[in-house]
Amino acid sequence: MQQRRRTTAADVALTRLGVVLLPVAALLAAAVVPLGFRSVSDLADGIVWFNAMEALAWAAVWLAGWGPNSTLALIGGYRFLAQGLAYELPHMLAITTAALGAESLRVGEVVDTQAGLWFAVWMPVAFAIYLLSAMAMAFWGPFDQPAGRDVAGGAAAELSGVDRIVFLGGRWLLLTVAAAFSVPLFLGGGNGPLLPPWLWTVLKTVAVLAFLVWIRRKVPTLRMDRYMEVAWVVLTPLAILQALVVALVVLVR
Amino acid sequence: MSGYEWQPVLFLLGVAAASLVLLYGVGASLRVTSEPLNTRPFSGGLDPDEHPFSRFHVRWYPVTMIFLAFDMEMLFMYPWTKVVSAVGVSAVIEMFLFLGVLLAGVAYAWREGAFRWS
Amino acid sequence: MELRSKAARLAVAHPGVLLAACPGATRARLAVEEELLRRSWPVVAGPASANLLVVVGDPDPARADWAENLWNGIPEPKSRAVVREAEQATAALDDGHLALFGPDDQVSVSPREERRMNGVLPSGRAGSRRREGHAPDGPAHAVRDGAAHHDCAEHETESHHSGHSGDGQDEAHGTHGGGHGHDMHAMSVVAGLPMADRADDRDGLRLDRLHVPLGPALLDWPAGLVLRLALQGDVVQQAEVDQISVRASSRHPFWNDPWLRVIAGERVERGLAARRLCAAHLDSVGRFLAVSGWDDEAKRARSARRRVLAGASVEELGVLLRPWARQLRRSRTLRWLTRGLGELSSERAAAAGVTGPALVAGGDAYCRLLVWLDEIERAAAVCGDTRVLDATELSGPRGRLNGPVPPSQALLDVLPGLLEGAEFAGARIIVASLDPDLDELVPVVDSRVAHE
Repeated sequence: MQQRRRTTAADVALTRLGVVLLPVAALLAAAVVPLGFRSVSDLADGIVWFNAMEALAWAAVWLAGWGPNSTLALIGGYRFLAQGLAYELPHMLAITTAALGAESLRVGEVVDTQAGLWFAVWMPVAFAIYLLSAMAMAFWGPFDQPAGRDVAGGAAAELSGVDRIVFLGGRWLLLTVAAAFSVPLFLGGGNGPLLPPWLWTVLKTVAVLAFLVWIRRKVPTLRMDRYMEVAWVVLTPLAILQALVVALVVLVR
Repeated sequence: MSGYEWQPVLFLLGVAAASLVLLYGVGASLRVTSEPLNTRPFSGGLDPDEHPFSRFHVRWYPVTMIFLAFDMEMLFMYPWTKVVSAVGVSAVIEMFLFLGVLLAGVAYAWREGAFRWS
Repeated sequence: MELRSKAARLAVAHPGVLLAACPGATRARLAVEEELLRRSWPVVAGPASANLLVVVGDPDPARADWAENLWNGIPEPKSRAVVREAEQATAALDDGHLALFGPDDQVSVSPREERRMNGVLPSGRAGSRRREGHAPDGPAHAVRDGAAHHDCAEHETESHHSGHSGDGQDEAHGTHGGGHGHDMHAMSVVAGLPMADRADDRDGLRLDRLHVPLGPALLDWPAGLVLRLALQGDVVQQAEVDQISVRASSRHPFWNDPWLRVIAGERVERGLAARRLCAAHLDSVGRFLAVSGWDDEAKRARSARRRVLAGASVEELGVLLRPWARQLRRSRTLRWLTRGLGELSSERAAAAGVTGPALVAGGDAYCRLLVWLDEIERAAAVCGDTRVLDATELSGPRGRLNGPVPPSQALLDVLPGLLEGAEFAGARIIVASLDPDLDELVPVVDSRVAHE
């Protein structure tokens, strides 16, 4: 195991907090993700809870980037904030759209509503936006700029040993949880023929993850100085339109 | 009821904390030296001339402002999702008028170049 | 104890390698990269995740503190290896790996650590053009750590001094936008380093500005290049080119070798030159793609480079390269991401003496990539040409080799202008899209060589 590492005049407490916060936030977000039809706790406002926990990652990555007093880490940390500004709004609109479809913020009820038709089928835009933001929130794949190799690992540049494992492990956890959460939101949760619900959840999660891995191989890193404009000028209006369509469907239903 | 809902979440937090403590403990016991390494920040081998702690480029801030506006809007939108069919057409009209106003703001910011960074 | 050593062994079975490549050692670097691939040891981005520091080439020992800094930044367990010649790669890596398990490397660092703690740095800083007062040679630990160092007051006054000596940084960093002064904010000194100053930005706003040297040991970075940057956030405000010093070499720059041999009067086959050109561009494109964050395609470029140098047939190269190049050309995302970066018109390029692909492209980073792709495919098709290269075709991978200066010098000359105002990631792509080869600037002891 590696020796711990400290940079000159670093803010060790902030770094440590950022590093630890990432996996904790990911795990707490997972609390509302059902396996089959059972989750750790099906909170009444589970979707808001997930959103709040996932937003903690902003703080975590920025703290880990700021703490070491290192230029490259700092750039990584700030990049994640920029990324957050770009992905978060379409993302929130996408998950509210799913909530709107079920008229509930309880994840369990969102799943129940999809016993017939999956939300992914009639809210394709929201689903696609959600997948994009799942990668963005875990700063992974085409959105790996905050931890990019061009800034020597960015926010993780100065982390070694356990700190590094915890931080990067937290990132993987976040990606997995984000992928897993797309299943109850858009892919019908544990609903499916023949197989037991928990297996359906697992299968769907794996499928989503596999898709994300495939995307990563096909696309270079999206830089925020380009993506920002797309996120605000294209994705946000699209997400709002999708929400409008769903709202109208809910009205006439 | 709500207390009952939150207990498992607290339990999960405990599990997370415990596994982190365990991980750090294992790390500490396996570490080759307990003395932390004091080092200069890395930027390719040469030392920086100044402390890297610094405020960031101004282009972030306009976007942050717009984002805040929408973030506030989300506060209304979450509870709104639960009452759409109960309140009816007026709920939808009001919410999307509001969103439309915000989008006009985005259009203006776009015209002013707030999202063009490079 | 048994368990601990087992775990340690497991942890360094595939050590993270920090590559510190020097100019003039391209051949050795290629050998090391090949060897690392064979062993599937990861090449890491920085010292924090490294176990093994591999210095490739022959740095000037009097000014190699950058390598020492890298070594000091690597946490235990660690070891280092020096590869001067391609043939040493395997043995040096083996030794370095073995030393990771050895008992003596743990003690070997301690005295050096001790020295650092006391504020004594190894002598001679690479490119030490900066004035003493400004150099961050203060005590390595923070004041806030409680170890209030008695030197601190001294350092503080020193740095005060340098701050007061009036916009003194101009001297070291070239000129910057007029009308900027120092505020008191800039004078605060913590742990021997001043805080970032403020200065006018590209839009005329006053923002924090940070001076930081970038390189030489970054991933996918031209070997030996150092950029002294003034950053505002992640926007490059100003850049100055520097390089690490190495000992004179007895060899031609690897990528230019066939043409330089023609200049020296030797007979060289065209196919050989084409092969070298093809591999050189594949190397460049590999770096370009890696910096753009497209690891998969970068890997393909590098494996193609290996095949080209290993002497693959024209047919095999066609099968390998055509689909790869087609995919790159078709990628809209790549185009969208690299358009408009580092615009260099033909006129400007010609005025600066640029002769190679950058002149042909006469455009942005994406244009330069396309020119590389074209030249790669064209060169790959004539790899088997056995006719003799005549002395009129003296254009190497980076430009004409019988000009007044090496082609990479011209690229380095235009670089700072292109970087100004670019965002950090964009700046990395611009550097990769010009890809100067600092091998060309290494003094050569052999008098046969005419290009200097």
